[in-house]
Amino acid sequence: MSTWERIRPRGDMFMWGIIFILSIWGLLAIYSSTGALAYKKNGGNVEMYLMQQAALLCVGFFIMFVIHTIHYKYFIGLSKLLLWITYPLLIYTLIFGIEINGAKRWVNFFGITIQSSDIAKLAIIMFVTRELSRKQETIDDFKKTFLPILGHITLICLLIAPENLSTALVLFSTCFLILFIGRVKIKHLLLITGVVALAGGLFFTTLFLLPENALKGTGRLLTWKNRIESFGKKETDPDKTFQNDHAKIAIASGGLFGKWPGNSTERNFLPEAYSDFIYAIIAEEYGLVGALLMLILYLFFLYRAMRMVLKSPKAFGALIAVGLSFSLVLQALINMAVAVNVFPVTGLTLPLVSKGGTSILLTSVAFGIIMSVSRYVEQDEPETEAENNIQENTLTAGHE
Amino acid sequence: MATNIRKVILIRTYTAFAFVAVFAMVIVAYLFKIQYLEKKHWLALADHLSTSIQTVEPSRGNIFAADGSLLATSLPIYDLRLDGKAPAFQDEEIFSNQLDSLAYCLATEFEDRSKAEYKRILTNVKNRGDRYYLLKRKVNYTQMKRVKQFPIFREGKYKGGLNIEEKNRREKPFDYLAERTIGYSVKGIAPVGIEGAFDKELAGKPGKRVMQRIAGGTWIPVNDEEQQIEARNGLDVMSTIDVNLQDVAEQALLNTLIKNKAEWGTAILMEVKTGEIKAIANLTRVAEGQYTEKYNYAVGESLEPGSTFKITSMMALLEDGKAQMTDMYDTEGGKKKYFANATMYDAEEGGHGMVNFQQAFEISSNVAISKAVYAAYKNNPEKFYNHLKRLKLTEPIGIQLSGEGKPRIKHPKDKDWYGTTLPWSSIGYEVKVTPLQIVTLYNALANNGKMVKPIFVKQILKTGTPIKEFKTSVMVEQVCKPSTLKNLHAMMKGVVEHGTATNLKNPNYTVAGKTGTALVADGRYGYAKQIYRSSFVGFFPADQPKYTCMVMVNAPSNGIYYGSLVAGPVFKELADKVYATSTNLHKELKYVVTPETPQLPPAKIGFADDLKAILDKLSISSQMQADTEEESGSEWAVAELQANNVKLRTIKTSKQFIPDVKGMGLKDAIYLLENAGLKVQTEGYGKVKSQSINPGEPVTKGATINLKLG
Repeated sequence: MSTWERIRPRGDMFMWGIIFILSIWGLLAIYSSTGALAYKKNGGNVEMYLMQQAALLCVGFFIMFVIHTIHYKYFIGLSKLLLWITYPLLIYTLIFGIEINGAKRWVNFFGITIQSSDIAKLAIIMFVTRELSRKQETIDDFKKTFLPILGHITLICLLIAPENLSTALVLFSTCFLILFIGRVKIKHLLLITGVVALAGGLFFTTLFLLPENALKGTGRLLTWKNRIESFGKKETDPDKTFQNDHAKIAIASGGLFGKWPGNSTERNFLPEAYSDFIYAIIAEEYGLVGALLMLILYLFFLYRAMRMVLKSPKAFGALIAVGLSFSLVLQALINMAVAVNVFPVTGLTLPLVSKGGTSILLTSVAFGIIMSVSRYVEQDEPETEAENNIQENTLTAGHE
Repeated sequence: MATNIRKVILIRTYTAFAFVAVFAMVIVAYLFKIQYLEKKHWLALADHLSTSIQTVEPSRGNIFAADGSLLATSLPIYDLRLDGKAPAFQDEEIFSNQLDSLAYCLATEFEDRSKAEYKRILTNVKNRGDRYYLLKRKVNYTQMKRVKQFPIFREGKYKGGLNIEEKNRREKPFDYLAERTIGYSVKGIAPVGIEGAFDKELAGKPGKRVMQRIAGGTWIPVNDEEQQIEARNGLDVMSTIDVNLQDVAEQALLNTLIKNKAEWGTAILMEVKTGEIKAIANLTRVAEGQYTEKYNYAVGESLEPGSTFKITSMMALLEDGKAQMTDMYDTEGGKKKYFANATMYDAEEGGHGMVNFQQAFEISSNVAISKAVYAAYKNNPEKFYNHLKRLKLTEPIGIQLSGEGKPRIKHPKDKDWYGTTLPWSSIGYEVKVTPLQIVTLYNALANNGKMVKPIFVKQILKTGTPIKEFKTSVMVEQVCKPSTLKNLHAMMKGVVEHGTATNLKNPNYTVAGKTGTALVADGRYGYAKQIYRSSFVGFFPADQPKYTCMVMVNAPSNGIYYGSLVAGPVFKELADKVYATSTNLHKELKYVVTPETPQLPPAKIGFADDLKAILDKLSISSQMQADTEEESGSEWAVAELQANNVKLRTIKTSKQFIPDVKGMGLKDAIYLLENAGLKVQTEGYGKVKSQSINPGEPVTKGATINLKLG
């Protein structure tokens, strides 16, 4: 065996490939789009952001690699512990968090600033998949299975919501999707939908009926209202549609094959071109072809992750991989949806592609876990066993 | 059962994937929509939103005086505008919390509106969402800096809602000094002076810059060199104006105008060789005793010059050999009837009897001169006209300034050529020329017959380096024969020596020139209203002329109207100043070397130490001595010349009694008197000649003592 054979990453090579391509692509896009930021803050030292992102990605890859060598079964126990850490962390953030751009979302962790919702996201998805795989036999039990899981999801989301509503909503939707995949009764799911619709409807009606003055000093309520208003209404004030207009200009001017890397002009106008709106820059520089390719890469990643359900000998592995993959891909799609103005501005980044600080590290943890599942599914899989020929009992092996 | 679980999970996973795929399709659909259906709209918007071409205003060039001091310059000035939609205005917390203090700051800064008014304005701007509300015009730099730090505004350039627009304001550091000659250039108004004439050079060329909007709403210049046209700043203009002489001219003219209650006046000082205008003052009465630079009479006003014009007649007659210096003329009792209703009078009632040609000019006899010209040219008036044409009096000079007046010299073939035209033209009526043309003519005579064009601007500079020089240009190489010139000089000197301007005679320098006391035609009243225009034009020193100067005062109304008495003093003051500052005009001082008896310095009484220092410096030995006991130890001394040294005799001073300051310099006299508690008024210059309170009288504190110096 060559050295490479010994140390090379295991698991689905397609998925590794996609992770790698997206990271490099992101690096290029960031290098191109941080011009305005660099102009303002660093006197034109554009390389600084490139180096920052490259360094973070290196660390990220290291984390991914290390985690994917650990058998995912160890994460089962860890998921519950992580959840119990998450609660105090979220509460701490709400009270003592660091405020950036008008929202308290960050905490300082031994000198590293971390968005606590990133940890919460990881924790709750791991916990939900664990619970689902453990309780497949009693999955229809409303009290014993459904309520505890839903309770945790709701609690976590409610703790995130005050400072980061969009993340909370996306996380809730992702969990809902995982519940759906995890065979939760349709009736129960419909119940959730109904309650959420009712609560949401009530909440937003109140929000819109209250005068603006009453919303002063209530954290981000006013921001939410404005954002949703600006999305809902046909806005004509160019100041308010500034971001979206420029995102669309970027996409429209990209054409079929784009302007080629480094030639974006909208990067200079588009606020947050390197994070929230990086997809618009991708569309401008790489054209419709590039934009579609990126979308397909994410979908293909999800598809490959899904295939693990077929292979995975243990339900937890499959579910955690699919759950995390859905979470990441859903986040990617929502980011893209914001760029094309299907969704209002959420502040969600494009995983692996957007410039991000420490969130890259937690994304890497998620990818690492997915790849760990991929790796050990392949390893644990009996060589002779065909995909269609899975033992019936393997799926339920999750709860010993 | 387990198979079922697996199956259900698989089905549900695929369903979820399908959902995600549908979501992805929606995104793709939107991508297509933006790229194909709305492409035009967004690309058009891109042009509109993202880039704008901004004009970069150049800064206007400076106008310098000859010594480099600034006559006109551009200072930045700011208009302040409000953006009611700026984040800080829209943020209820910031706005309501800081509105009060902002209104207070604005009210105290500008003191033009109350705090409550400002509060109302700010609230209205916010409520209406005005994007471009003009808060305050013409704010200076330091104010602008302060306003930027006011509450709300200090939130920042974009957020704070304060838009600052820079403009340029033209500033004249010397205020009204030569104001009309410096002039102005305002859109829609006829240009005036140097500003107007050199507008093209001074203005510079506006640049264009493509600006792009970047994150945060700030505009940055696009780094595309091809799309950028640099603003070319205006060039500087160096004028010939001498600030000091201009100041003297302006002040002297003002004094004369006030004294004579005149309507307006002008004074021009021109350097003989170069034609450079060193000073040009124009003052118009705006109210009783108040004058301002309102119109450039010197350049723009074409008027009947009166007697100063007679020089042309004398020149023509001498050139054509129609007269000799010794020819005698009868002034006919100061009255000559040319036609039934056209009688010419001399200023002196009863005339001057018989005068020769030179005297006719010196005493400015209208009768004698007009008679000579009439006799010589009545059959061929065109010849007389041609003289005037040769002297460049029939056309504007073509100077560097805007707004030059057009002269009017009648041609014999003109419809308005009357029988009176020739005799009256010969003495400066029925012709119109600008004062500057008269100066130019006399300057030609001063300049040995060479007529040079008056210039106001010497150089055009680009960042301090001259890029264009205006050389003296010759209009007429030789205006008359040297013999004629010599005679004309003699006549002009005679005017000052024993003619109409003897009051200008002085021991320091000689003057040659001509007075003018013209009756002013006033609309339908004609000459009946007895309004005069007094003038004097001449050059100095008469033998080697350096400067030509003309002073004209219109409508003096304080009883005096003779040119020499009204305009003369201005001429003299200006000439004195020139003489005082131009050492090359001074006669060489003759030193009488008498080693045996040293000359004493003029201040003979004074502060003992000073006297000693002066004597020491001059290597004159001196010794301090006191006559009486009580006088010793005094700081004051009298210098007394002795056989071979100077005795400094100390004198007693006291604060109770008026000291004797006669013979002291003003410095010492004031020191002594003011120390004694007196107020000092002085008159003249030199040493103290007399004092109004006698020495030895007791001092009354606060009393005024007058000192005559001489």
